[in-house]
Amino acid sequence: MPATPSPVVRPLDWFGQFGVDRDAIRRVLSEATAHGADDADLYFEHTESTSVGLSDGAVNRAHTTVDLGVGVRVVIGDQVGYAYTEDLSLESMLRAARTASAIARDSGAKQPQFVEAARDLPDFYPVDRHWSEVDLSVRVPMVRDWEARAFAQDDRVRKVRVNLGDADKHVLLARADGTIVADYRPMTRAVVGVTAADGDLRESGSYNVASRGDLSYYTADRQERLVTRSVERALRAIHAGSPPAGEMPVVLAAGSSGILLHEAIGHGMEADFNRKGTSIYADKLGKRIAPPQVTIVDDATLPGARGSLNVDDEGSATEKTVLVEDGVLRSYLHDRISARHYGVDSTGSGRRESFRHTVLPRMRATYMEPGPHDPSEIIGSVKKGLYCEVFANGAVQIGAGDFSFYVRHGRLIEDGKLTEPVKDVNLIGFGPKVLEAIEMVGNDLEIDEGGWTCGKDGQGVPVSQGMPTVKVGSLSVGGGR
Amino acid sequence: MQTPEQMLELAHQVVGRAKELGADEVAAMVSRGSHVTVQRRGGKVETATEATTRGLVVSVLRGDCYSSNSTSDLRPDALDSFLKRCVGATEYLEPDPYRRQPDIELCGRGVSVEQLDQDDPAWAEHTAEARAVQAEAIESRLVGRRSDIISCSSYVADGRSESVQVMSNGFVGVDAGAWFAAGGDMTLEEGDRRPESGAYYGARYLSDLPTPDAIADEIERRVAERLGSKAAPSGTYPMVLANRSAGRILGVLGGPLSGSSLHEHLSCLEGKLGERIGSSVFTLVDDPTIPRGLGSRPWDGDTLRAKPRTIVQNGVLEQYNINVYYGRKLGVEPTSGGRSNWVVPPGDVPTAELLAGLPKAILVTGFLGGNSNGSTGDFSFGIRGLLLEHGQVVGSLSEMNVTGSITDIFQRLVAVGDDPWPWSSVRSPTLIFDDVQFSGT
Repeated sequence: MPATPSPVVRPLDWFGQFGVDRDAIRRVLSEATAHGADDADLYFEHTESTSVGLSDGAVNRAHTTVDLGVGVRVVIGDQVGYAYTEDLSLESMLRAARTASAIARDSGAKQPQFVEAARDLPDFYPVDRHWSEVDLSVRVPMVRDWEARAFAQDDRVRKVRVNLGDADKHVLLARADGTIVADYRPMTRAVVGVTAADGDLRESGSYNVASRGDLSYYTADRQERLVTRSVERALRAIHAGSPPAGEMPVVLAAGSSGILLHEAIGHGMEADFNRKGTSIYADKLGKRIAPPQVTIVDDATLPGARGSLNVDDEGSATEKTVLVEDGVLRSYLHDRISARHYGVDSTGSGRRESFRHTVLPRMRATYMEPGPHDPSEIIGSVKKGLYCEVFANGAVQIGAGDFSFYVRHGRLIEDGKLTEPVKDVNLIGFGPKVLEAIEMVGNDLEIDEGGWTCGKDGQGVPVSQGMPTVKVGSLSVGGGR
Repeated sequence: MQTPEQMLELAHQVVGRAKELGADEVAAMVSRGSHVTVQRRGGKVETATEATTRGLVVSVLRGDCYSSNSTSDLRPDALDSFLKRCVGATEYLEPDPYRRQPDIELCGRGVSVEQLDQDDPAWAEHTAEARAVQAEAIESRLVGRRSDIISCSSYVADGRSESVQVMSNGFVGVDAGAWFAAGGDMTLEEGDRRPESGAYYGARYLSDLPTPDAIADEIERRVAERLGSKAAPSGTYPMVLANRSAGRILGVLGGPLSGSSLHEHLSCLEGKLGERIGSSVFTLVDDPTIPRGLGSRPWDGDTLRAKPRTIVQNGVLEQYNINVYYGRKLGVEPTSGGRSNWVVPPGDVPTAELLAGLPKAILVTGFLGGNSNGSTGDFSFGIRGLLLEHGQVVGSLSEMNVTGSITDIFQRLVAVGDDPWPWSSVRSPTLIFDDVQFSGT
């Protein structure tokens, strides 16, 4: 096991224990750029993840994963050569570098000059303790306590399942221009799942929280929420039905409704799709795409958020990027390749799932800035519609513009009031049309605390999303009646 | 770790060392693999990725306390620390005797290497030049095919993996297989929309992949179908589920069939063994023994011998998917956890003939998001599709959902086509259902 780290990790400190030193980095980068390169980098990663699980009344399983490796990337224009290895011996890294460099053969590109420069980073996820310093003996009683509290909350609770997972991820980015940056990225996620029964009816519900935080993330309030909300959701689902089918006004509750932004516009803002012309937003920069009350951002700087990053996965500084300002499309999400293509700076959106994957422009924490309306005013404005509160997943077709999201829990709105609970319904729409149909924006922005993961080209990365209460004039609801 | 013998040696060492450290039962799987992907766009290689990988998965039971673990750091010192941690973790846990390894009599190879035929010798000869030619051939057949193309790309990939498993119950298994994939996508210009579609094919043998011409034809056909798409009015329609898309609806059965959801009493199929859950034309077989099958395997996740199993026979539920762990918890014999190849046997009547008999129907060609609830069986999915009249396409559909329940939908299965889709571990022909709820305008 690696030595106990100090809270501040300087470049190379962590990977030194695996035999990675400046000389090795220089030699591997030199090999990677031997045929020339517009850009090249080495992405070292070491992740230790642990999870403990409770089911059937016992904390009876633990899982540990250790992942170690390096990815070598060589970029020529918009062409990428990529190779990785889990073996950090010099011989193996040089082999990966030779493989990645093949893309540059006959390209005429020059070999970049390596001038070493370490860089200080901001700290959007300060922690006191790494997870590797937290013993299982600390985690087990937490898990057991959540179970006991869930059973105590309602006698209709029949089963409780709990999982508490966390990870210490260390990354080291060495670029062909000599930039070296290192980042420690903690992650924790807890989920409580409850099965409840009322007579013959049985249903389940769950709630989860996630953060780039340490043990102190689990405040008394948060632990209480984790338990009470999972029980509430299971109980509510028992008597919930299916809404009517067809187009109707939809009110999205504050918080995880940010999934609408993620699917309806977020992916379409990723500049690789725009560079290739395959996004529906490819020719819309500077144009109005939503009503003036709509401002949408993608933010890497929220303290402790699951999607936050001190530095992106190709060494660029991160930021809060305004995508849509007062209804006008302002910026795409750029990695270095697309930034070069558009002649702008990277927005620090270059991300990868692990050292096994190359960089793509991705979202971090996507949310809509708050508007003027009180949530009750928004609900009160709907005669007959659907109120969506808890979401499971979403999907989008970037070019066609169609997107969908699945509502696990909601309510009908009748004459301006929330009535019958409903569940398990998919909503589908055409992104640009739905953005135009945003009629009211609430004053109650909430960043959802759940553990969202975004998938693209087979890569999953942690993201956050948020939303104030929002009314969409019309969406197609996949109801069952 | 260059040879299967070295991998076996490592797995044996891991089992031995974990036992020395106090484990009562140990299972170790060592794997290694290589894979290459090449993606082309705009007349050049856009991304080329190549890697060799390795890994170790270890599960241990000490005093009936269980931990499962994986690592890619196989340096000897790191490995020893890792094993100490794996065994040490059990100290804090409560016993779970259901985790004990299965009886060795049940374990082993259920189908011969020759019959599985998963390891194409052509893989070792497949060169970087051959991949480049293959990717270029697909791309060149897409470029210039139409005047409204915004972007098109081609993709080829292949790989081979080897794994060895050693368990303290005496099981020793060695498995290897290659795979190949090819495909591409196309985006068209159409006013406010940029319709896109693609086609991807996977196979165990390189020579089984479709030709570049066939791939390019299919990509163009699929994207052209998306032009002019819009929602149809909400209502009930006959649903024609395209063979390649059947996995999404069949997949809804996966959760409720599983031992874990039965154990949690969260399965809408609980207590339904021997009962009718579909019409008489619905039969579903899990068959891990299909030669060159993408889901084929010599043993299951518990190392139980692979064998074909009929899950639904003429509409009657015959078996669940119960692994060793949940079999013990439920007090029943395990069948097999998870799924291998899911096969819906084809019918006798040509699909085109079946479609010609439908005055109006929705052909579902793909899905967009959606989900299902295993305890109620309810599902709601976004769809892409075509409106058909007597088998002729009269419109392209988007912005629609299909909604139903898995406990009911297969009762509505009225006909099964003769065109099983071979490029997936779900081998289903086109399926035709009566009166399915769609929401649109």
